Amino acid sequence: MIRTVFLSSSLLIVSVFIQSTWLSSIAVLGVIPDISLVILIWVSFKNGPIEGAFSGFLAGLAEDCISASPLGFHTFLKTIVASITSLLHGSFAIDRIFIPFILGCGATLFKAIAASILSLLFGPSIHVYNFFARDIWIEVAYNGLLSPFFFFLLSLFAKYLITDQAKK
Amino acid sequence: MSNVSNRDIWRWRRAVPVVLIVSSLIVLTISTRSLEGFPRRFGLTVFGFFQQGFNAIGDVFTETITSIAELRKLKKSHEDLLVQLEHFSRMEREFADIRAENDRLKEQLGFSGKLAMARVPARIIAKDPENLYATIVIDKGVDEGIRKSMAVIAFQDGIEGIVGRVLEVGYGTSIVIPIYDSSSYIASRLSKSRFEGLVMGSGSFDEPLVMKYVRKRAKDEIQFGDLVVSSGFESIYPSDIALGRVLKIRSLDYQTSIEVEIDPILDFSRLEYVFVVKITENAATASQSEIK
Repeated sequence: MIRTVFLSSSLLIVSVFIQSTWLSSIAVLGVIPDISLVILIWVSFKNGPIEGAFSGFLAGLAEDCISASPLGFHTFLKTIVASITSLLHGSFAIDRIFIPFILGCGATLFKAIAASILSLLFGPSIHVYNFFARDIWIEVAYNGLLSPFFFFLLSLFAKYLITDQAKK
Repeated sequence: MSNVSNRDIWRWRRAVPVVLIVSSLIVLTISTRSLEGFPRRFGLTVFGFFQQGFNAIGDVFTETITSIAELRKLKKSHEDLLVQLEHFSRMEREFADIRAENDRLKEQLGFSGKLAMARVPARIIAKDPENLYATIVIDKGVDEGIRKSMAVIAFQDGIEGIVGRVLEVGYGTSIVIPIYDSSSYIASRLSKSRFEGLVMGSGSFDEPLVMKYVRKRAKDEIQFGDLVVSSGFESIYPSDIALGRVLKIRSLDYQTSIEVEIDPILDFSRLEYVFVVKITENAATASQSEIK
């Protein structure tokens, strides 16, 4: 378990760095995909509550350190998305395209809703997505479209990223 | 027995996410009340180091691919610059005359010397990892004397414009919050008519800035394309640095002021290098005595 948490957290933190440095070159109308979220939902779905939540917590904390968001904002979002996704662990099998797409889109929307709830609780220092603006929908579509590709890529490294217990 | 222990393990597994969610909420509660400090700076220092590494790797690939086209461009821009250089040399001579005249006039009017600003050049190495916040990470930090709330400016196409202010400082990197962020406010004025207002960001670099609280009577004097500059009526931004040009005026009958939409002077998507403005103590003393 510790090895899985360590490896998946490291992978997530690396993806956060990639998002902040390289991905601006593939931004669509200024919107970059949230690949760390896509990786996180795969890790959480495949492993269950502990590994997903821990990895989300650590990756979110790293993200908060390099963002203008209040410390704890991304930590909360990533942990809650991982926890909710992990509830689906073992309930159905993942196909190649459709389910990854739905999970990618759903997780992004859930993240946006969770941010809105946090904004109500903690005030204006929390930025929220405008559901009537194009940015959120571009990100939803972008994450959804990238999910099948990343899910396939991650499945190649499943033996490092999934615990033995979860494999059973 | 084994069933009980399995149940316990199952409960424990279920409890972990809850504990982590609660922990993140506690951290958020503390940080939104501005009790954060060291953990964030420490994190920025550590992760900033990795960001620099990732940026450097990205640069190797990008620079290799673009170097040929870049050489062609450089040749052309070199020729253009030679022509411009001659033009600017002529201008510099005229500028020196005007400056001397300006100093004489200032002296006569009783103003003290101009603000001494040190500019620390910095390179943009990263942006915010997500779309919600609009931040820029630069490769200069505490080691270069950068402090929180210092103004950041940039030169683009020969124009000096405001980029934003330093939000957080790590050892070798700093987070800059740009003027288009929705939490950004700058005391400003229209360069020609001298009417004042408050420029706010709209959250996206490709959307116009909004200048609020401009007196209604300014409406007849504002023209499309008028320059908006910082007024300097706050400690962060130096005065007369360009913010943008007037795009549109919004005036409602029931409001006592008008809103002006501003096209940012800097194209943030092309920004690579910036300057952090350090106002020296002498300058601060000078400006304070001016106020007195």
